[in-house]
Amino acid sequence: MKNLLKRPGVQAFVASVICILLGLIIGYIVLLFINPQGAWQSITDVVRNFFTWSRPPQRLKQFGNTLAKTIPLIMCSLSILFSYKVGLFNIGAAGQYVAGACASLYAALAWGWGWLPCMIFAIVAGALLGAIVGFLKSYCNVNEVISGIMLNWIALYTTNTILSNVKETASPYTLYLNKENPSALLPTAGLDQLFNKNTYVTIAVPLALIIAIAVAVILTKTRFGYELRATGLNKNAARYAGMAENRNIILTLMISGALAGLGASMLYQTGYMRWECTQSSVPAMGFNGIAAAFLGGLNPIGAVFSSFFIQHITDGGQYVNTNYYSSQISDVISSVIIYLCGFVLFIKLTINRMIKPSKEKKGEKK
Amino acid sequence: MESPYAIEMLNITKRFPGIIANDNITLQLRKGEIHALLGENGAGKSTLMSVLFGLYQPEEGIIKKDGVEVQIKDPNDANALGIGMVHQHFKLVECFTVLDNIIMGVEPVGHLGFLRKKEAREKVLELSKKYGLEVDPDAKIEDITVGMQQRTEILKMLYRDNEILIFDEPTAVLTPQEIDELMQIMRNLAAEGKSILFISHKLAEIMAVADRCTVLRKGKYIGTVNTKDTTMEELSAMMVGRNVNFHVEKKPAHPGDAILEVRHMTVASKTHNNNAVKDVSFKVRRGEIVCIAGIDGNGQSELVYGLTGLEPLTSGEIILDGKDITKASIRKRSVAGMSHIPEDRHKHGLVLDYSLEYNMILQTYFESRFTDNIGFLRRKNIRNYSDKLIDQYDVRSGQGSITMARSMSGGNQQKAIIARELDKQPELLVAVQPTRGLDVGAIEYIHKQLVAQRDAGKAVLLISLELDEVMDVPDRILVMYEGEIVGELDPKKTTQEELGLYMAGAKRDEVKA
Amino acid sequence: MLLLIQYTLIFASVLLLVALGGCISEHSGIINLGLEGIMVVGALGGALVMSNLSTLPPALMVILALLASIILGMLYSCLLGVAAIHFKADQTLVGTAMNLLATAAATVFVKAMNTAMNPDNHSSEIEYVAGRKMFIVNINGFEFNWFMPLAVIVVILVYLFLYKNKLGLRLMACGEHPQAADSVGINVYKMRWMGVLISGALAGMGGLCYILAGVSLWKFENGVAGFGFLALAVMIFGQWKPGRIALAALLFGLFRALSNTYMGFPALVSLNLPSNVYNMMPYIVCLIVLAFTSKTSRAPKAEGIPYDKGSR
Repeated sequence: MKNLLKRPGVQAFVASVICILLGLIIGYIVLLFINPQGAWQSITDVVRNFFTWSRPPQRLKQFGNTLAKTIPLIMCSLSILFSYKVGLFNIGAAGQYVAGACASLYAALAWGWGWLPCMIFAIVAGALLGAIVGFLKSYCNVNEVISGIMLNWIALYTTNTILSNVKETASPYTLYLNKENPSALLPTAGLDQLFNKNTYVTIAVPLALIIAIAVAVILTKTRFGYELRATGLNKNAARYAGMAENRNIILTLMISGALAGLGASMLYQTGYMRWECTQSSVPAMGFNGIAAAFLGGLNPIGAVFSSFFIQHITDGGQYVNTNYYSSQISDVISSVIIYLCGFVLFIKLTINRMIKPSKEKKGEKK
Repeated sequence: MESPYAIEMLNITKRFPGIIANDNITLQLRKGEIHALLGENGAGKSTLMSVLFGLYQPEEGIIKKDGVEVQIKDPNDANALGIGMVHQHFKLVECFTVLDNIIMGVEPVGHLGFLRKKEAREKVLELSKKYGLEVDPDAKIEDITVGMQQRTEILKMLYRDNEILIFDEPTAVLTPQEIDELMQIMRNLAAEGKSILFISHKLAEIMAVADRCTVLRKGKYIGTVNTKDTTMEELSAMMVGRNVNFHVEKKPAHPGDAILEVRHMTVASKTHNNNAVKDVSFKVRRGEIVCIAGIDGNGQSELVYGLTGLEPLTSGEIILDGKDITKASIRKRSVAGMSHIPEDRHKHGLVLDYSLEYNMILQTYFESRFTDNIGFLRRKNIRNYSDKLIDQYDVRSGQGSITMARSMSGGNQQKAIIARELDKQPELLVAVQPTRGLDVGAIEYIHKQLVAQRDAGKAVLLISLELDEVMDVPDRILVMYEGEIVGELDPKKTTQEELGLYMAGAKRDEVKA
Repeated sequence: MLLLIQYTLIFASVLLLVALGGCISEHSGIINLGLEGIMVVGALGGALVMSNLSTLPPALMVILALLASIILGMLYSCLLGVAAIHFKADQTLVGTAMNLLATAAATVFVKAMNTAMNPDNHSSEIEYVAGRKMFIVNINGFEFNWFMPLAVIVVILVYLFLYKNKLGLRLMACGEHPQAADSVGINVYKMRWMGVLISGALAGMGGLCYILAGVSLWKFENGVAGFGFLALAVMIFGQWKPGRIALAALLFGLFRALSNTYMGFPALVSLNLPSNVYNMMPYIVCLIVLAFTSKTSRAPKAEGIPYDKGSR
């Protein structure tokens, strides 16, 4: 038991579970305050999400929906953890995600492009926005958090303006992809059959998993990853070792942006969602990506699971009893979880302190 | 009966996990005396002082002030007892004025905590006159000399009416002339009845100024002696437990052709408007060690930045082994045969949260022996290489190649850097204060490595602030003062006094490249 | 034109209050990226007082609304204080979490409150028409807001606090060189707490001011549209100095005001730009300004670095 707890991976997992439990408990307390009667039912509904459906086929279909939305979240959390390894906090992932949505939808609806070119266009758009942040950071010393936030808003308003050209006349929403240009929809490759004909489950699912693994490999096994992590851990030493710091910062943020942009394409090109051209706030996907990245212990594979969990409870929010509560209770829970992730270092220290006495005793025996 | 002692620390023991930092140490400071505390790095001096300041609570032992036992729980308690300290690294806020730094924490205030600076200024000027501590109260710390910063620190103690003054390695940053001034100030203070504790490992200074000396070694109390009744050799033996070679053993140098040639190098300063390095030219030849000496902050750091490519030159050129590298990147210079032992090993030399093996390849990771064609690391080769260096350079660590650099001792961290830099087979080794903060054994080892490098026909450029090192290790000394090279000296023919005059800018020659 | 001046002044007041909050926090050594969230919470406190206590005499109501926003802002800033001062948490992460949490929690709270009063009302809006009137004096069509003189007073107070008061001196020492502050017996943790709490109070006030700027109804799902971050940009542009921050706030306020009032300028209307361009304006200006001013930043040296008494 104690040997198990010594492993950093296990410690990260334990810390994440503690954060989740505390987050849920706090969510439950909030519900209790609002109305004690339905609180337990509602918090369990949040956690059960699609399991609240009694019929298995329905469950499967809803599971597919959650999965479809998990994919962009995975990409956003990969985006954030990738740049965090270099010591950069890419809060601009939200805006890069918006840019990706703008590019893929506009290419699909205005130009009638196929799914792959649309996807690549989204990647380029996200990368471009990331490159701006990187450029400002490395050549003008602008804090990436502030420039990221500013670009989030700029991207939002620009996207609203551009996508207004391809929206329905009667509503603020963009045109239906499956009616206007089905060729831009991502292929399902038979995956829809596994989820009760849920066509939102596409090749994006395996693709996202492959990318997560690729990110893990790049970070730990390659020269590029070696440089990035060295820069993140000690910027000065990396410079002394002749690593091209500015180039690496820009490159990292470009890759981050590309990941977030790709994430948007992986959602909007399933036809699951349409863009609302009057929306006045930046989609939460990029911010939830922060939660998923940190909850996953800043590990790409961990991010896959934590993304699913975050999306799971976010979707679960819609099952709360809306006579008393609102679905934003899941946002409360996930933001509490992000907050608690700030204490992960402390939790790990505490675990280490708990297992240490036994270690010292061993030393004395020798 | 009144106690003759201002402060007494009796039988102090302080343990940290795995180590006894202070083992039954007794230190008695008489009123009005200058008492030296001597010991190597890691002997327990700073722990003892931290106990005195209430930063640590000792497991055993008591502290007495004027013969009465006192409890010191935090620096405020120490301050209330009249204990003040000039830290080795000054505790001054750089963007504040001298006056603000002096009054900080004990500000004279009127209603609602509003400052009454006029009152404070008068008191400061009065003190500065009384003890001959010249300062400009309205200058900002970042704009004044190190000497004046130190005087500010002393005034800080005097402003608080401290009776017990502690000086932690106060001479490390001063010129020999400034050191003399400081000694005089200390004597003045003692004559006015202040009791002074003088922490140092420089024997000559202790012999010159202290009345008594307490010696620590590896956390243990060795003894207290009157300086009048002892010799430097005896103190030294007490400090290290054996007789140490003060001189580096080396054969005469046989310099060959120039490896490094610097012509009219000028480097802009990051903090000031004028240039930090001004039109500097010099050569380093095969088979010699050239030392750049000088007081900290006279352009040595910027010279190294310019040389290694961290900062661009404003003008001038650098020739390495016949090739012009003036505009080359850091990486190109490294590949062209320049190795660099940086001044701050934690900040620049190592990635502390990387394993030892990853640190060993920090300069060479991109070579084909460590990275394959598609950019993957060759982990087996890295491990083998690291194991080889660990063995060859005797780098000691808990788990060998996979040890985290952070968990290693300072000496072994430095050994790892030296292994990495020397194994590159550089034509030129730039070593910046390579022995800073290390114990005698490690210092000896590093000096031997530098000499071995020279004897192998390589060029070595040493940048040092330590006078002993400057006198012993190199074959030639170049003295830097305010960004210029003001003198070239032969260590065999010059004296510390002459060196000091150059370092202080009191003497200068026209030096040709 | 009058309208432009009115909006410039009121938005400048918001930015000024919040930026000064950020400035004091950073001078103590803590980067407060949660300003945005604190603003939301402060706005909520003020809105609740305004919508529920509008029958009170105006002066009392105004003071109560202010107090509510200040107190809630301070309480909320404790989240940052605990995490950043005592647990050495990543200040960027904690600030981001606070921003997300504030909007989500305010939405949940307001919805629950609305639903409790009327089971069919699931909106996250609070209306405060009567309350808003008490903050405003109408002078020939110019809506004079009491926050305008308040902001000026706060600048003066912050200036006096930082440069003339012993607490300000000590606070700034903690942001520049906490070890030095500690060595002369200043409690770094206490000073940092003070910095965080003052920034909470000012940002809370700023949040209230923001929802009073143009409307009498606030939808809490929308948060405060990046104003907390604009305030940080104002602070950086103002080089962490109160006087310069005031000027920077006026500049940014002007650009923000343009998006509300450009319709009143025939020259601007004739350009025929989409309204989104004006919406983007403050953010674009902010990026450009930062690109040119960040290089020579004079940020407090120890900001963002957790202070550990043991390491010295």
